[in-house]
Amino acid sequence: MRIALFSDIHANLPALEACLKSIEEQKPDAIYCLGDLVGYNIWPNEVINEIRKRGIPTLAGNYDQGIGLMSDECGCAYKTEPEKDMGKISISYTNSLVKPDERKYLRTLPAHIKVELQLNNDKLNLLLVHGSPRKINEYLFEDREEKSLLRIMEQADADIMCFGHTHKPYHRILPTEQTENTHYRHAINIGSVGKPKDNNPKGCYVILTINTNSSVNNKDAVQVEFIRFEYDVEKAAKAVEDSPLPNDYADMLRKGF
Amino acid sequence: MQFPSDYKYSKEHTWLHVESDTGTIGITEFAQSELGEIVYVDLPAIGKSFAKDEVFGSVEAVKTTSDLFMPVSGKIIEINTALKDNAGVVNTESYTKGWMIKIQLSDTSEANSLLTSEAYQNLVG
Repeated sequence: MRIALFSDIHANLPALEACLKSIEEQKPDAIYCLGDLVGYNIWPNEVINEIRKRGIPTLAGNYDQGIGLMSDECGCAYKTEPEKDMGKISISYTNSLVKPDERKYLRTLPAHIKVELQLNNDKLNLLLVHGSPRKINEYLFEDREEKSLLRIMEQADADIMCFGHTHKPYHRILPTEQTENTHYRHAINIGSVGKPKDNNPKGCYVILTINTNSSVNNKDAVQVEFIRFEYDVEKAAKAVEDSPLPNDYADMLRKGF
Repeated sequence: MQFPSDYKYSKEHTWLHVESDTGTIGITEFAQSELGEIVYVDLPAIGKSFAKDEVFGSVEAVKTTSDLFMPVSGKIIEINTALKDNAGVVNTESYTKGWMIKIQLSDTSEANSLLTSEAYQNLVG
């Protein structure tokens, strides 16, 4: 079973189109989107409709939740006053762009998707969330203490947890010693399609491969491939510059931060 | 922002309230406001001893995590179990219901080295 997972498109249509084209070439068995379809660029409706017309199961991200509720708060952790001011412009502009039907769609998106695989007389729980199982906007960065990540996953009964929100991809394997075997959990941040922040302007998505012999006691139960794809960054950056959005967002796309 | 005058404060943004040889410890209102929405507080086991400035636990907020440092040395005699189901009370009532641990002080004079409410207010102001 090969599963394609993508997230954090943030109204970047050229990036989404390139991502979907790349995913189609991979011919996965399933596709999921982990949310944050809107914000920071000019194509929120187009992005929603591209995902919607394909029937891709999609989670609500914190930005989707904010726009769905016509709120002026997106749940983003802006650090500085200029960042906060830019954020206000983005959410207010996005609210002005999103049409009623598209807004309704955002409001009905679920917070979690749980996929229970049954292999080798055992279950393997794949949990998909936007930020974390407990908070839609919690940032689970790569340097999060192992104890903390494990606790979050144990509480959510997740063997494989895929999430986005930070726009910085990683895969961590978290072992827990048990009486007979070691239980391996996988925490996978799938990166961002349309607003990468890991100093690589290429878009990112993940192909997860689960085999017939996959089990929680097998460290290599899942293979995680981070796929970086080229897209027309300049088109997306120019669109920002030609809109009421702050030009800084264009620079972030060009440099990937 | 509040800085109760009968509390002592550490530069690491914990407060200490002493009653004879027992101290109650939590984080300051300033600390919770810097952390933002708190979702989990990891607290130590009862009976464990920690030296002054040692890490006794951690706070997990939506945007970040932060270690908790002992303002003084002591042995854990009680932890605030209510935080397990409602860590958010640290945001709303950091000096009262949001307390974290109670300790038996190893050396009551250590508290004298901490900041007064005025000194702490100057530090964060």
